[in-house]
Amino acid sequence: MQARYADGRAAVTHPTTLDVGADTLTFRIGETQHVWSCSDLRRADDGSGRVILKRNPDTGERLYLDETDSARIILGAPGLNAKRAFGIEGPGTIAAITGAAWSLAAVFLLAVPLGAGPIADHVPPRYRAQIADISWSQINAFTEYCDDSDEAARILNDVAYRIMQESDVPMRDDVWITIVDAPFPNAFALPDHSIVVTDDLIALAEHPDELVGVIAHEIAHIEHNHIMKNIIRSVGAGIFFDVVFGGAGAGQMVAIASVNLASLRYSRGDETDADLRGLDYLDAAGIDTAGLARLFDRFAEQERPPTESEEEADGERSGGFPTMLSSHPATAERAAAARARSRAGLNPSMTDAEWQIVRAACGGVVLPQSEPAPPAPPNAPPTNQPPVATPLPAPGTKPD
Amino acid sequence: MTVEAAEAQSFKHEGKFFNVLGLALKNAGLSLLTLTLYRFWARTAMRRRLWSRTSLMGDPLEYTGTAGELLRGFLISLPTFFLPAIFVLYIAPLVFDPATAFWLVAGFYLIGVPLIAAARYLMRRYQLSRTRWRGIRLWLAGTASAFAWASFGWTILQTLSLGWYSPVARMNRAKMMWENTRFGDQPFEFIDDGEPPAKGLWWPFALGWFAFPISYIGAIFLVIAVGAAIAGTGAITAEDLQANPMLSVGIGVAVLASMLLLVLFCWAPYNAAAMNRIASLISIDGARFKLRAKTFSLFFVSLAGWMITIFSLGLLAPMAGFLQVRYVFHRLEIIGHPKFAEIGQAIVPEGNAGESLGDAFDLDMGVGVI
Repeated sequence: MQARYADGRAAVTHPTTLDVGADTLTFRIGETQHVWSCSDLRRADDGSGRVILKRNPDTGERLYLDETDSARIILGAPGLNAKRAFGIEGPGTIAAITGAAWSLAAVFLLAVPLGAGPIADHVPPRYRAQIADISWSQINAFTEYCDDSDEAARILNDVAYRIMQESDVPMRDDVWITIVDAPFPNAFALPDHSIVVTDDLIALAEHPDELVGVIAHEIAHIEHNHIMKNIIRSVGAGIFFDVVFGGAGAGQMVAIASVNLASLRYSRGDETDADLRGLDYLDAAGIDTAGLARLFDRFAEQERPPTESEEEADGERSGGFPTMLSSHPATAERAAAARARSRAGLNPSMTDAEWQIVRAACGGVVLPQSEPAPPAPPNAPPTNQPPVATPLPAPGTKPD
Repeated sequence: MTVEAAEAQSFKHEGKFFNVLGLALKNAGLSLLTLTLYRFWARTAMRRRLWSRTSLMGDPLEYTGTAGELLRGFLISLPTFFLPAIFVLYIAPLVFDPATAFWLVAGFYLIGVPLIAAARYLMRRYQLSRTRWRGIRLWLAGTASAFAWASFGWTILQTLSLGWYSPVARMNRAKMMWENTRFGDQPFEFIDDGEPPAKGLWWPFALGWFAFPISYIGAIFLVIAVGAAIAGTGAITAEDLQANPMLSVGIGVAVLASMLLLVLFCWAPYNAAAMNRIASLISIDGARFKLRAKTFSLFFVSLAGWMITIFSLGLLAPMAGFLQVRYVFHRLEIIGHPKFAEIGQAIVPEGNAGESLGDAFDLDMGVGVI
């Protein structure tokens, strides 16, 4: 069998004749006889045709066979056609990599959320304030402080304090509500125990209990430290994916998406927790939870996929935000839970005069003095009619 | 004997598109399955495939690197790169005052410039040390830090000159890389042919430098011409545009896409000229190299690579690498005969770790070739 031999010491090849034995390859270069054990042979080619042999461990020596002899040696030593001979991983290695990858992901899914609580509880106040500053800088980028909202903010803060006092919320002296001008209805709590309420949320509310229900929900987030926990979960997720699942493209996208779904589940858990605790506050403060139920109904109406006739009437109406992908529990369920806790005969959480001041914040709706604030609508199932003359929230922009 | 008169040996690349595509698809599937952890094995397999299909004088190149080495490099980069990066990018903004955090992040990005240059050097060193021809190993001498700081200086000059130092910087980097490259114990040279290294690069560079305004005007003209032709047939009227705003969006996208194409095209002459010039200055044991890269062919290869990468969401980026490698080796020849019998084996050990920082910065975009 003819071959060429490179000795690994110079970049030239020497013609030689191979003698293929049962367990060895023997060939002679000049006066020197070389004997290679078949068990030590590896492939230096990629299996596309001509065989190039090397030894394990690699000495730099190579044997180049021609096409015909390549086929013969493969027949004589079938192990040379195995993946191992090429240094290619087998199914076992692939299974191990897959197992390792998903195990890492599983560890993350369990460890980061579990660790987020204790870590969040031990974040020093100075760092909490730093994080809040970052949050405020982001909020300031897309909202504007309303100069005419001081009185309205005072009223909301008084109501919030009364609620927290009734439920003995420990950080009630630190909670402060700010009203901002923003093009969406929302309210959110920040790490420094601030609560931001947008003017569009106030405009969307038809009764003070609806707005106060949202504020109670945000107070619950603060009491249970959900904000810091969520930040730690997010930072943990970012670090995990940046470090472990480097690379780029769709592979990384799949990895991120798979764990983001899990993060949403934990976020929904926080929301449910805040819903329940918020209803407790309202109960304790003697505020009817039906207000919150009506607000949820309105959000649910926005999330409902449009009917054909609605699509024809208003091509811009959207809806159908799937619950599985939402950071919040299904809105209809939240409304039902709030409605179930409703008690009749309770006074509104604010007087008519106070409600008018709150409604007027940020140049909002000013009701004529002769016209009283709208009474609380009956605790009835939602209709399909959206509220008149109030901005419609985009799907998903509901109180955090 | 002059270079032109010397006998030329062409490199060959026998990689077939669908053969490489099959491997790229398998790698993509396994990368998805393993949440990208398979990338070290994928890169190794792709390099092995591309190297083994490249040959000179009938003998193929051989890639001897292993996925284990790449994985080990990645593990080394965890404490040495990722830990400081996590602190600066994630923790510092939360625990320091905004000014301190800003300067830390700014400093990190500034250090990133020489760090990326060092990563490129280390990546090239690893790939060369795992490349053999006739059993003889290539390698890269010198230090990554020397290349990194030199490259950092050139980057500053490029910035200060609004980019006009780039042709010189590119040749400087090539010179430093190639003068440190060895085949066995034989060094490559980056020769002085009596002309400035950046000779012939300035006009093509100027075309690229002015690519944006040229492309903007060209794209507008192109879209207006096409639009006028369509309007002439009555297919689209002014009323259609008013009634359907998506048509206007479509026209905007067409302008943008045309601009990107024109920008890519405007840079192709410079890239082709620079590649050819660098190849012409490389020498080993008196033999010289010649590359015949052309503007149009290089443009279409680059365009095809980008399209494949974009439309596969990066999963088939190695195909872009394959197209580039095949393009270069189809057009590369070595003129003259190095005295191969006198070229001995490399005496520097291979080293164990892989490309750590290269993976951290994703320098080859998963292509496997830099």
